[in-house]
Amino acid sequence: MVENTDQTTQNEQERRETRERLRLLFQSLNNSGNNGNRSNDSMLLQLLSELIPEDLQNEWFDSLADKNDKGCKETFVSSLPRVSINDILKQEIIRNPEIKAAHLNCSICYCKYTDDDYPLIAQLPHCGHHFDFECISIWLSKNETCPICRDNLTSHKEVIDTSNVELEEDWGMYG
Amino acid sequence: MSSLKRITKELNDLGRDPPTSCSAGPVGDDIYHWQASIMGPPDSPYAGGVFFLSIHFPTDYPFKPPKISFTTKIYHPNINANGNICLDILKDQWSPALTISKVLLSICSLLTDANPDDPLVPEIAHLYKTDRPKYEATAKEWTKKYAV
Repeated sequence: MVENTDQTTQNEQERRETRERLRLLFQSLNNSGNNGNRSNDSMLLQLLSELIPEDLQNEWFDSLADKNDKGCKETFVSSLPRVSINDILKQEIIRNPEIKAAHLNCSICYCKYTDDDYPLIAQLPHCGHHFDFECISIWLSKNETCPICRDNLTSHKEVIDTSNVELEEDWGMYG
Repeated sequence: MSSLKRITKELNDLGRDPPTSCSAGPVGDDIYHWQASIMGPPDSPYAGGVFFLSIHFPTDYPFKPPKISFTTKIYHPNINANGNICLDILKDQWSPALTISKVLLSICSLLTDANPDDPLVPEIAHLYKTDRPKYEATAKEWTKKYAV
């Protein structure tokens, strides 16, 4: 009886270790992207996906996605320029003269900006795509691309705005 | 932003302006679980077949992709025996600006143009690359057997 319990405990321990090894392999293969030997990787991954129950695969895949340390800095997101519906209308009208303020919507929640009494709209630098500030903040907290054109927001060098800087005329004269 | 609101919006839009070769809607009372159907594209070996898919929306949709799989058996390099689909926009290339309608259209184009270089079923991908007529014949046979 005692021996039997020991046996079970040992089996369980072994199973747990095997499961852990499988998880690590599965996650590293899913994470390898373009590195390494792709055809071998995809064959191994295929084999693993046949062995591992689908629910477990999804769980491991999701936990991998959450672990990837991606996302824009909070300071970047909170400093995104806010624009008014009229600002956007002025830009969009160049492409589509028929456009009305009532047509403009956020491409994440697909709600019209005008449905909100005080819409808070953010515009991304470089690509200029606009979204509800709330919607784009959630997306950028875990991602780094524009939802519409996939422009990587972290790929651009920070531009330092010097237009408002007052140059000291007599620099270098003293000291 | 609530996932419920966005999913309801998509459902209304699908009703108002349905795509030509696909349809989708909730299975029962659960708005997070849909069924979809795709007509086999005319210029593919899946022509004449109707393929059913199951769609599960995560609670943080649209910030996470929906889980979509085929429930009809299909012979395709990027779709395995469990109906899992190997499509980048359902994984790391997901964007919250995508909708079910757009995703179903992408799956339609995957049926017309398979991607044998990123296969889910290596044997089918190999056949696709080395003996296209045989791949097409098998795909047609499966369509007739399971999707008509």
